[in-house]
Amino acid sequence: MPREGTGWSIVSYLVGGMLLYGGIGWLIGRWTHIEALTGVGIVLGIGLSLALIIYRFTRPSD
Amino acid sequence: MSDLRVLTTASGCHFQSHPSCGYPAPGIGDFYFKPLFTIGSFQFTKPILLMFLSAAIVLVVFWLAFRKPKLVPRGIQNVGELGVLTVRDQILRPQLGSKGDRYLPFLVSLFFFIWLMNLWELIPVAQFPATSKFAFPVGLTLVVWVTYMFIGMKNQGPIGYFKNMAVPPGAPWWILPLLSPIELLSNIFVRPFTLSIRLMANMLSGHLLLLVFSIASWYLFSATIGLLFAAVSFVVFLLVFVLEVLITLLQAFIFTTLTAFYISDALEPAH
Repeated sequence: MPREGTGWSIVSYLVGGMLLYGGIGWLIGRWTHIEALTGVGIVLGIGLSLALIIYRFTRPSD
Repeated sequence: MSDLRVLTTASGCHFQSHPSCGYPAPGIGDFYFKPLFTIGSFQFTKPILLMFLSAAIVLVVFWLAFRKPKLVPRGIQNVGELGVLTVRDQILRPQLGSKGDRYLPFLVSLFFFIWLMNLWELIPVAQFPATSKFAFPVGLTLVVWVTYMFIGMKNQGPIGYFKNMAVPPGAPWWILPLLSPIELLSNIFVRPFTLSIRLMANMLSGHLLLLVFSIASWYLFSATIGLLFAAVSFVVFLLVFVLEVLITLLQAFIFTTLTAFYISDALEPAH
């Protein structure tokens, strides 16, 4: 059975991924004047966060 | 309470009683207080007083409860043991197991301090949740953050701690450069950030809701059909009040549970 903090950890991974890659996308977007890169970064961040959550919490050893 | 509000309520300003009588909506101004007294440039305000009171109450109650512990508890020792055992069995043991019992004093003080700080929202005269001032959750979170970082570095070594944190088990090596930054960011920054925001935002919104409906009950109170609206508003106020009784407890519980979770994460690398 997952521990109680698991749900909140997942939220913090999602927020962290969006912040990090959204932020990187925003910076590159500012530099190259392509504003859509912020959105691309946020979506990429969510994707990577999901991958991380799968590795962290869905392994049988947990 | 802002000066304007005091004026309108004191002058008996009600709905349609005067053309200039608008609803005195609560706002962020209600979270700032005139200092009770000042020491140099330091302003001693109501939330600070509530903080000292909370700390004193927690101290005195538990000191009285365990001053002369008896094998068969009587009186206030019953209350103290009930509190300690609740925190142990509901918060600490599910996260840390019995080996985490050395952190029990920390978690018990944290839980009851936060609960009291929240509870002031519902106590007449005080009527203000001290935890809705952002500085208090931030201070508490800093204590928690330093604690779990220290425990982590002590138990897994300074480098091992960050390595275990940054490398999720079973992930292929080529994806690590993309995933590790998320992991570090969420463990080091997002965790304490959300921990403090959650507590502050819940107490702030609860206080605002209570203000909206209690002021509305007073404002709509009149000898006309408006009395009906005032009654409805008062009923909603009572419902929100009951909800807030739960929320004060729940927020203290969540804060302490997450602290225990972070400590257990720091004690052993994540599986």
